Amino acid sequence: MSAQSEANLKGIPTKPYDLLREGLIVFAFVAVLTIVLAAIFSSPDYPAVTIKEVAQKQPIAYLQMVTDYFSGNSDLQTYGPPYTKNPENAQTFLGIAPANIFGVTIPIDAQKDFVITPLEGIAKMDPGVKTALDQFQAAGDKQQQAWIKNYSDALDKAAKDEESGAHQSTTTKAETGKDTASTLNLPTGDYGPVSVLMQSMLTFARAGFMAGALNTTSTSPYAFDNTKALLFMAGDVESDVADKLDMQGGEWGIGHETGNYPGAWWLWPYTFLYQIPAIGNSPNADALVGGIMGILLLVLIFLPLIPVLNRIPKWLKVYRVIWRDWYKEHGKT
Amino acid sequence: MNMTERAQSFVKKNMSMEDALPTRMPVYVNSVAYLFGAMTLAALGMVILSGVILTIFGPDWWHVSSFGHFINSLHFWSVQLFFLGLLLHLIGKFFMAAWRGGRWRTWALGIIILGIAVFSGLTGFILQTNWDSQWIAGQAKDGLNAMAVGAAVNTMNSGQILTLHIVLFPLLVVVLVGVHVVIVRHESPVRPIGSEEKDA
Repeated sequence: MSAQSEANLKGIPTKPYDLLREGLIVFAFVAVLTIVLAAIFSSPDYPAVTIKEVAQKQPIAYLQMVTDYFSGNSDLQTYGPPYTKNPENAQTFLGIAPANIFGVTIPIDAQKDFVITPLEGIAKMDPGVKTALDQFQAAGDKQQQAWIKNYSDALDKAAKDEESGAHQSTTTKAETGKDTASTLNLPTGDYGPVSVLMQSMLTFARAGFMAGALNTTSTSPYAFDNTKALLFMAGDVESDVADKLDMQGGEWGIGHETGNYPGAWWLWPYTFLYQIPAIGNSPNADALVGGIMGILLLVLIFLPLIPVLNRIPKWLKVYRVIWRDWYKEHGKT
Repeated sequence: MNMTERAQSFVKKNMSMEDALPTRMPVYVNSVAYLFGAMTLAALGMVILSGVILTIFGPDWWHVSSFGHFINSLHFWSVQLFFLGLLLHLIGKFFMAAWRGGRWRTWALGIIILGIAVFSGLTGFILQTNWDSQWIAGQAKDGLNAMAVGAAVNTMNSGQILTLHIVLFPLLVVVLVGVHVVIVRHESPVRPIGSEEKDA
């Protein structure tokens, strides 16, 4: 034995032991248990929600997302680092905003990246869209916003009508999960070229081209980075799906997966903090939870050196159960 | 002494064959609590074995192959057992106050391994390329962004998450677990509380 082991075990009797035998038995047990669990319970695989699917089954919800980005007023457009230059929106912990340290490292201009750029691509194939896009871009900002707002208001009204069953073009088929009508018929209004542009965005997405258009980069035909397509979808539609599957942060988030499977249950201390209203409802919730977890991790790492905390095991006396045979032989402390 | 001789001397001083492959144990090593570390190592072995098979066929394979789905299920459940073993091991060592006798670095290293394993698990959940991964990537980004980690690790960059999950994090976990086990064997199992004067 090493000198340290010799010193540590001085005066302690030993017993025969077979490390490899014990290791193999434990491995065999764990391997069999894993195989049995996998064979009986399998693993969850709920399909991803695609842009194409949303555009086909919930065209109004899809266009609400698009117009939100188009107007420049979506939450993503003022998110702050690492996406946008809005340091005032970075979450703070103890007065510090960690996200501002590195600033914008993944620049996202939702209006341009999610709407204008795909429209420029569509315009190359469709002269009608090119004309509409030119008309839109030639107009002043105030006029652009007015058209988008009128169109957005009409969508909101159509969504309400859909809920009440009054909107004929989408409701019945959406509920059966089948494709809805390929053209969204909104009441006549002052939409300028926006209705043509949004209709083309709907058609483009229903054909299944939108995700690819968002992920395409100018430097490579490969798409390892899905940031834009995933961010595009990370809004109300995904939130509705998560609601139905009880996966919201207020429902312990990633502590469980779909279909009642255990998820990352080891993050329960992390997800628990979001259940505390003062934290979960705070605009700085993520920074607060991250900061608290960072402090707890440091406490755990240095627990052996922290007075009082490092005495807890001696007070709890659970060790008497673990070493009960030893204490039977040698007396309790 | 040259460098190799010094290395030989260091190993001989700190790790005998009886430390590395013990044939005897102190009599107090006689509780189910001592099995949780071995359970964690065994589950880690299953995680790596099933993960290597998934690595060969790529991240989408398990959606289109029933055998692939079974291998994914092995990976999923071995991860569950790994964290269960890790948690029980941690609780057991806490109740033993296993940091006594100068072993606090071993404890600290174990907690650091837990922290890395958590991020390894997170990247695995994000790599499933299904609804769970889509939702978790969107949720986790806010937590990471708020703490400035998002500047370096983008949960929606699937290529980056893939390489972190199958190369960097497993490498860190395996190397640090190896160091943890070597130190544990070098130090010998901590003595029962009260059996020595040097309890810290």
